[in-house]
Amino acid sequence: MEAKYDFERKYREQILLCSRCGFCQAVCPVYGATLRPGLNARGKMLLLKEVMDGRIDLSDELIETLFQCTTCASCTHNCPSGVPVPEIIKAARKDMVAIGSCHPAFKGMNEVLKKHTNIYAEDEAEDFGRQKKPAAKYVFFAGCVGLYRENDATEAALAVLDKLNVDYTLIEEVCCAGVLEDVGFALNDALVQTNIDRILATGAEAVITGCPYCARTLNNKMQYAPLRAKGVIIMHIAQFLKDYDLGVHTDKKVTYHDPCDLGRHCGIYEEPRQTIRKLAPNFVELAHHHADALCCGAGGGVRGAYAKNSIDMARRRLKEVEEIGAEVVLTECNSCVHNLGNAKLRKQKFTICTTTQFIHDLMEETD
Amino acid sequence: MIDERIKQDLIQIVGQQNYTDNLIDMVSYSYDASEHRARPSCAVWVENTAQVSEVMKLANREKIPVTPRGAGTGLSGLSVPAHAGIVMDLTRMNRILELRIEDRLAVVQPGLIYADLEKALAPHGFFFPPDPSSGKVCTMGGTVGTNAGGVKGAKYGTTRDYVLGLEVVLADGRVMRTGGKTIKNVSGYDLTRLMVASEGTLGIVTEIALKINPKPTVTTTAMATFNDLEDAGRAVAEVMRSGILPSVLEILGRETILAINQNTDLNLPEVEALLLAETDGYTKEETDFQMDKVAEVFRRNNPGMVKLAASQGEAADLWKARKSAYAVLARIKTHFVLEDVTVPIGKVPALLKGIQAIAKKHDIQIATFGHAGDGNLHPQILYDGYDPEQVKKMEAASDELFKLAISLEGTLTGEHGIGLSKAAYMTLEHDAVSLDMMRTIKRAFDPNNILNPGKMALDAA
Repeated sequence: MEAKYDFERKYREQILLCSRCGFCQAVCPVYGATLRPGLNARGKMLLLKEVMDGRIDLSDELIETLFQCTTCASCTHNCPSGVPVPEIIKAARKDMVAIGSCHPAFKGMNEVLKKHTNIYAEDEAEDFGRQKKPAAKYVFFAGCVGLYRENDATEAALAVLDKLNVDYTLIEEVCCAGVLEDVGFALNDALVQTNIDRILATGAEAVITGCPYCARTLNNKMQYAPLRAKGVIIMHIAQFLKDYDLGVHTDKKVTYHDPCDLGRHCGIYEEPRQTIRKLAPNFVELAHHHADALCCGAGGGVRGAYAKNSIDMARRRLKEVEEIGAEVVLTECNSCVHNLGNAKLRKQKFTICTTTQFIHDLMEETD
Repeated sequence: MIDERIKQDLIQIVGQQNYTDNLIDMVSYSYDASEHRARPSCAVWVENTAQVSEVMKLANREKIPVTPRGAGTGLSGLSVPAHAGIVMDLTRMNRILELRIEDRLAVVQPGLIYADLEKALAPHGFFFPPDPSSGKVCTMGGTVGTNAGGVKGAKYGTTRDYVLGLEVVLADGRVMRTGGKTIKNVSGYDLTRLMVASEGTLGIVTEIALKINPKPTVTTTAMATFNDLEDAGRAVAEVMRSGILPSVLEILGRETILAINQNTDLNLPEVEALLLAETDGYTKEETDFQMDKVAEVFRRNNPGMVKLAASQGEAADLWKARKSAYAVLARIKTHFVLEDVTVPIGKVPALLKGIQAIAKKHDIQIATFGHAGDGNLHPQILYDGYDPEQVKKMEAASDELFKLAISLEGTLTGEHGIGLSKAAYMTLEHDAVSLDMMRTIKRAFDPNNILNPGKMALDAA
């Protein structure tokens, strides 16, 4: 039988490998927050299998589960059969969009990026009081969240780079557009080209970003290949800072939240810890860490589309912070900071910030 | 489709947010980890015994099937709603109600995840031994419903050996308490044991009182390879006679070893059988003493090699082979059936040989591993479910496998349950009188046959 949808053409064998063991239920953040197996990775694979078998068809009825996946990849990491669930979900979302079944939040996101340069449809980009240099060794790429929501984190990162005398510049950056592919649309070529041109114009040898998602997009997406072909290296600021002697110290009990985009998706676990351990000897791991880290609930467009469940996922993560009595939670993703911050209860007295923000604040204290 | 009036009644009981007939939920509740599939009409997420009771009263009055469900990890179709109706999801009743270490007692709700119980017991140095391999996700209700076991069966038994008492909602909504909270109890009929492994056909368990054990702190691990199945089988039998009871004694058959080698870098010796043993206790002297005896037995039975793990790291490496078996085999074909036939320990070699012969005869891949220490093997039949020829072969092979197990004084199922998968084979194992008694009991508990109907061949006249 001829496959009706692209997701089947691409992933039929992988979907059939799902043996329905249900082990993903132990780790799926959406299931954890809702205890609803229809939203678990297995539930999603079962639906797609029934579509392939012709028992049901893609329709609006499937929006709630197919568009409610943070693409954190915990399921894949724990899957005995190795089913690449996030990739399958992204492919199915494209088919959903093609038939006109899409969550309105994602449709809106695509529309916004046709008219604006960022996902928040903001017109005024923060310049952080810094002149854009015509040429520099590094480009600092802040990402939409870093530019328009977690500005303090970006300001702090830039101040740390200044302090370390790094030759960098900001550019008139636009959204990396990676998220569009995650929610059923195609990367916006105009945005991609703008970023490529502006980065290359500086002659920079590397892009440093505060956003692990932007790092993934620039590093892995085919559309950004021209950047890489010119030898431009893309790295996350955690990778950049790991070898510096930052000369700061804290006695506070510090823990680290692995962002899915940096950890499970890029395999970067140790660089942030290397930096944190140097400045915070009183470092403790959360109950779930490294590849087992719980998702903050923000990814895959879930924060925008299913805010309540997204916050519930973040709360589960923050409960783990409470359990170990940490005073500071560090992470390497503005989006995680944003969602965890929104979920924090008044009684939870710990600080949530990026590692660079924390380094910056310690530097200020030292000065 | 559910009748609108009944839908409203259900919503009245559980609340709008705890009722669903959405397609995404109905599809997900159509399955467990077996090959079976049947779509329910609706599902409810129950939060307490009173709600369970009210739902049952309604279902009994209206004669609507109710299929209780935990994590849905069963391998025999136990929680697949064969006759449609209502799926009752108990995973939100997931609290530990009492933990009384001095009484060796834990009282839990059915939706509690096995791993969460383990986590709560660990700081006290205690554990709940059955250790099913789905432990990080399966629920205690499902554990009771199937009488789940695991790798520690030989020394520590199965769930049945630890259930002291239950709260059960009957088909008509009445709430029954069985057993109690004491280690010993011979008061009246043992309704607790009747409920364990009853697969949700007699009542809905809403509270479980469990006996817990102190957890041994030290283990020793060893591996032995055998080029002849007979030798491996004799080694297992001799270990059992030696006076030492290993905490784990597992076997991997040739097909499984080959599959592991093709898919990992473990480089196992490609022999007929590989045995893995673990002894447990509280001092290294104690566990090493036991393991020395086990290794001695291995050496007497023509092993290819015997390897004792010198460190925890080495032990973990040895276990990797056993632990990777399921994952490796799950990736080979699009479909598989994971059986759990069990025979007296002395007949393990005969079972292994028989399985090889069945695979050859039907030209189908069967990889075997399992719990040699309690005679419970897992032949995993691998096939392509979209190829009618292969489906036929799989069915014929299963059929012969069950007959073989019974002919060896064994049972159809050691730990997964009858469910839908083995319902047709009940008469193979149980005589007409015992089946008649089972059906009489079922009718006494559930005259309208609304509790998980279609399972265990109980509906048959």
